[in-house]
Amino acid sequence: MRVVKLALLAGLSALAIGWGVAASTPYWFAPKQDRKVDIADPDLIARGEYLARAGDCVACHTAPGGAPYAGGLGLQTPLGTIYATNITPDRETGIGAYDYGDFERAVRKGMRPDGVHLYPAMPFASYQVVSDADVEAMYAYFMSAVKPVAKQNQPTTIPWPASMRWPLAWWQLLFAQPRDFQAPESDDPLVARGAYLVEGLAHCGACHTPRGLAYEEKALKDDGSGRFLSGSVLEGWYAKNLRNEDTGLVTWTEDELVTFLRTGRNKRTAAFGSMSDVVEHSLQYLRDEDLTAIARYLKSLPPRPGRERWAPKEDVTTAALRDGDFSAPGAMTYVEHCTACHRLDGKGAPEVYPALAGNSMVFADDPSSLIQVTLAGGRMPSTPEHSMAFTMPGFAHLSNADLAELMTFIRNSWGNHASAVSEADIARMRKEIAHKPVHYAPEAAP
Amino acid sequence: MRKSFLIAGAALLAVAGSAAGWIASRPNTDAPPPASFAVLDADNNEVGRYVVPADKDILAQPNADEIIYGKRLLADTARLLPDNVGAAMNCNSCHLLDGKIDAANGYINTVNFYPRVMPRAGKEVDLEMRINGCFQRSMNGKPLDRNGREMKAMIAYMDWLRQGVAKDHRVDIVNAGAIDESLVPDPENGKAIYALKCAACHGTDGEGMRDQFGDIIFPPLWGEDSFNIGAGLARTYKAAQFVKWAMPPSMHLDGQLGQGGVLSDQEAIDVSEYFTHMPRPDFAPKVNDWPNGKKPKDARY
Repeated sequence: MRVVKLALLAGLSALAIGWGVAASTPYWFAPKQDRKVDIADPDLIARGEYLARAGDCVACHTAPGGAPYAGGLGLQTPLGTIYATNITPDRETGIGAYDYGDFERAVRKGMRPDGVHLYPAMPFASYQVVSDADVEAMYAYFMSAVKPVAKQNQPTTIPWPASMRWPLAWWQLLFAQPRDFQAPESDDPLVARGAYLVEGLAHCGACHTPRGLAYEEKALKDDGSGRFLSGSVLEGWYAKNLRNEDTGLVTWTEDELVTFLRTGRNKRTAAFGSMSDVVEHSLQYLRDEDLTAIARYLKSLPPRPGRERWAPKEDVTTAALRDGDFSAPGAMTYVEHCTACHRLDGKGAPEVYPALAGNSMVFADDPSSLIQVTLAGGRMPSTPEHSMAFTMPGFAHLSNADLAELMTFIRNSWGNHASAVSEADIARMRKEIAHKPVHYAPEAAP
Repeated sequence: MRKSFLIAGAALLAVAGSAAGWIASRPNTDAPPPASFAVLDADNNEVGRYVVPADKDILAQPNADEIIYGKRLLADTARLLPDNVGAAMNCNSCHLLDGKIDAANGYINTVNFYPRVMPRAGKEVDLEMRINGCFQRSMNGKPLDRNGREMKAMIAYMDWLRQGVAKDHRVDIVNAGAIDESLVPDPENGKAIYALKCAACHGTDGEGMRDQFGDIIFPPLWGEDSFNIGAGLARTYKAAQFVKWAMPPSMHLDGQLGQGGVLSDQEAIDVSEYFTHMPRPDFAPKVNDWPNGKKPKDARY
């Protein structure tokens, strides 16, 4: 009996201490800064707008069809849906009553003015490296140039006790320790600028870095582990490996990368899925020097040992298909459904239809994106540089057996080489697509 | 003893029931049943359903090699039949996706449609004559030997595609969707639309786009390598039907090519008036067309 009592007491004390520490973090772990910002300064506002674009705040903080920054987009988690909040300067429902210290603490430390901890769906762990000057500029922009919208925030659908927020303090203590930006060792100032954007505002790692069991990004910067930006799967899309290695970006030139970031397409490939939105909402607005900086930094990420380069195997596919030899498994289905756009030589049409030959999304370690775009289709972003944005239709009407054979063929033709795709892979993705989160928040009750 | 049997039986039933429920509640994890079209008789009564066959079904045909050869000729006409094709065009340039799509000049009903009396020829035209008409007009080239291997292969493909639909029946699809022919074309607006919505693929000067081998990706819409004025596509309203319903491809997440449905009738007519009337090769035998009158209002001569 005594043992039970003791254990109970110890447990309760641990819980109390855990709660106590969490309740105290606003005072020592994430203290509020006291600083005045001239929110009427037009230069500051303009800079802030550019930086808010770079941070792609609008992507999450806007419901489909809703007012910009008024919140409401749902982010599905295994426990329920978290809704992005209203960050317009409305005093009642948005952030209109925030002073600079409140704003800074939310953006970089993940904490609300009332001391409640934010979910890591907000990428404050990345934003920690954003400079004071840049946070000030964004504060001026949000306070002075964003139109206030009166719209109540939508509560999460996560049930109690998981809905308690105080344990998030411990997540922050473990995975979001305060840190300043440290430029990588390089003589090139563009590499440093690129690292600053990629690690910080652009928060590329949110999708492209694999996450751990606690949803933490396994690396928030290039720390020598090789995990930063090494590719990750989110909502059935494989955000590709961005390191300068085999299935990453080693075959891309800096120019190709810049063109891709600015327009969502280049001669070898096209953006689709979430990346299409990133280009459309954010990257197309960045200055060329910033895009070049991002590209140069990504190209500077060292490959993991043994993955320095990617060599295509010999292309026997093009000649076979042009000669009417459709005997390879999957070739007949490819010629029937894919050649009209991607062509017998797998090269597509430059800046119109992506190439499949030599396209590292196609032969990525993880075929999720290839499978999803084939089943459900995908859209290129629309940018002023191109008057037409193209859409690939979905091929869910083909059987799992045909699709598995087809994708295995595509991953291993024209010099590509990669693992086979199985019927189970296709069936799994159909299920995932059927259960896709609905990014929609009904209006909150008045 | 009896009681434990009962319990075991009930448990077994419960397990089986929940397993069945679980299986029934699973989402569909393979392809849905294929879409189909009605097969109609001469009085428009539905007499069956038609499903567009998969190419791999060709392999089960006794003349599989011939059908596949025909399919290749239709898709890669300029490369495989250089002596007969004068333009940078393939049959599939207009007959999209091997003639398998509704409202994009499909081949599905073609075999059953001929022979018939055609107003342009003013006489009965059989399928070989019709195909050779295409070679001389749209392809700006020379006719094939009507008894040759190539002609037979193309017709073999079309015959396979009809999937045994009887001669006096037809599959409920159209060659081209409807267009309002009362609208008056505005070629200036057409030029603007062309630059905005067509030039990305067909080129700023209508020159089309070619691949690494010099073969056609997107056909030229005017100039020496385009179809001649004898082609149906050189007519404003006929071209507009195709442009509205089949162009551009890759616009939607559904549909075999995600094609069409971008331009209004007026826009399709404007842009068609513009590109059809750009310089293109003449067609000398034009003097023999419409010998009995009934010339359409958008005829070029």
